[in-house]
Amino acid sequence: MKKTLSLVGLVVIGLAASGCGKEYVRGSQDPSIDNAAMSTGIDKDDIQRMLSENLNNLRSAPIMNQWRLDRGQDTVAVFPFQNETTEHIEPQLSAILSEAETWLVDAGTVTVISRERQNQMIAEVEGHQNPVFNPAHIAQYGKQLGAKYFVTGKVAASDERTEDARRVQYFFFMQVIDVETSAIRWQHKAYVTKMVR
Amino acid sequence: MIVSRTDHAGGTTRALAATFAANCLTLLVGCGGHSERTLPVRTALDEGSPRGAIAALNKELEVDHDGDMPKKIEGDNALLVLDRASIQQSLAQWQLAENDFQAADKAIDMLDLAHNAGDSIGTYMFSDSSGKYVAPPYEKLLINTLNMIDYLEVGDLSGAKIEARRLAVIQKYYADALNQRDNPILGLGGFLAGLAFEKAGDVDEALRWYDEALAFTGYDVLAPTIARLLPQGTYSSPRLKQAAARGQGTAPLGPDEGEVVFVIGYGRVPHKIPKRIPIGLALTLVSGSISPGNYAMANKLAAQGLVTWVNYPTLAPGQGAYAIPQCMLDGQYVPLEEAVNVSEQVRAEWKNIEGKVILSAITRLITRLAVGGGIQAATKGSLIGELLSLGTQATLTALDTPDTRSWETLPARIAIARVRVKAGSNSVRLDARGVLREQNLDVTKGGWSLVSLMALR
Repeated sequence: MKKTLSLVGLVVIGLAASGCGKEYVRGSQDPSIDNAAMSTGIDKDDIQRMLSENLNNLRSAPIMNQWRLDRGQDTVAVFPFQNETTEHIEPQLSAILSEAETWLVDAGTVTVISRERQNQMIAEVEGHQNPVFNPAHIAQYGKQLGAKYFVTGKVAASDERTEDARRVQYFFFMQVIDVETSAIRWQHKAYVTKMVR
Repeated sequence: MIVSRTDHAGGTTRALAATFAANCLTLLVGCGGHSERTLPVRTALDEGSPRGAIAALNKELEVDHDGDMPKKIEGDNALLVLDRASIQQSLAQWQLAENDFQAADKAIDMLDLAHNAGDSIGTYMFSDSSGKYVAPPYEKLLINTLNMIDYLEVGDLSGAKIEARRLAVIQKYYADALNQRDNPILGLGGFLAGLAFEKAGDVDEALRWYDEALAFTGYDVLAPTIARLLPQGTYSSPRLKQAAARGQGTAPLGPDEGEVVFVIGYGRVPHKIPKRIPIGLALTLVSGSISPGNYAMANKLAAQGLVTWVNYPTLAPGQGAYAIPQCMLDGQYVPLEEAVNVSEQVRAEWKNIEGKVILSAITRLITRLAVGGGIQAATKGSLIGELLSLGTQATLTALDTPDTRSWETLPARIAIARVRVKAGSNSVRLDARGVLREQNLDVTKGGWSLVSLMALR
């Protein structure tokens, strides 16, 4: 009887002790922390996967060859990607944008217009009272900036729900558009699926 | 003698184990119902102090600031964050309201997805409130609907469209999986989602949503808009055509005009409260659905002449549903249309599940008595056994907290209006239940604004 009660006591103390105490972990020391999917949103792994698929395709696209031939004379603006999903992933889209911009700058084949300058131009087109980016006015921004091409894209999603699961399939499109003619000079897509069950 | 003593010791051990298990359950389930926890919140709202209500919620969530999230946004905390979201909205703290709605939306969804057999067993064994919270359809639909207001208030069409898409996912789930296609919340959702897509330039998507809204009464104000949009899009339906016909003859928006949409929520939906009724009355209420075995056992209890009470939740009276909200634009009254009676949805949903809730309360009562009887039998009617039996029954009775969880800070009714105004500065005055919002509104040429008021008292 005494043994049983002692055992129960130990179990209770053990449970209480295990309930408290969190620790901070550094990704460089434990790379596995990046692996787990924490939500149906987009995380670093998804961003890398989608961008690598699209940018690898852009690397060998005809428009890239054109830019190489023009020896960095072509000016390119990178405009925000549209969120057409069911998730509030604007910060992640902003990260994608910056990654794409960095890749273009590193490639050294075009002159990339700074985002700060773009924001000024958006304010001029939309009015300073409500300087919110409007995808319908992209061509206008591009002309005002003197850009020859702009890179943009969108993320769409198919979101489905059942009694015990929710699945979000992301479709990430990237495109290069000729400002003068509005012709799509390159477009590619990548997919990512997240699920909670 | 030794054998007998060993037997007795074994019985005592079993009885102690049962008592210990019951006490452990106290730790797991917790005490005090949800409505008791949120009493200070409702009191503060009744006193016209939404800030006091948020302070009370922050205390319950164990956070210091309005924008802080609890360490764990799960269980009842998700519901408290939801309560806080609608109060933040009533205080025009749009960004904070957006964050709370988003966090609660995900957390409530996770609870919904994680609902399992264990919860049902807990409901029938220990307490209705021991199961995970499952939001009724009107609550799930209102999370995205009300959050759209936050985004539209600040002109963030992208954010509003995301909420509209999330609403569509839940709407489809309820329609396909649960065959619930006619929830009036969808009317208001369609009205707001249509506005978001219309102003973003997506005519077909706007028409689809407006078509959804027109399935319910209270959206006559859409007729001129639909008359203007229908020729521009490819989507059409008989309802849209009828609305367009009604809206014919209205002059298109002038070059110096803009539009203002008003949304006024007022009163508060009935929340759940614990109720005690004698078992005889409870048996009458559920006579058609209780199992024959349980019916016989419960009848036996009733026949013993002891007044045995069944604890279960019921709805408190709502408030403010008969108030008359007022909306003024540049000193002129703007006629409001009732978009949705949320209180009616709460009552309808409750009527659907009330029988099941009483049934599970009776089952728990019988379980408690059976456990008490088992302990008495195990201890062969000894004094210690009697005490343990009583103790266990008392513990299980204390654990049996009626499930009074619900989204308590919802407006009882929501009214809408949509008017055109001269571009420039316009004075706006919204008034409901003694809560006032007054401001000057700058509307650009061809522009639009949404102005809302949530008077949650």
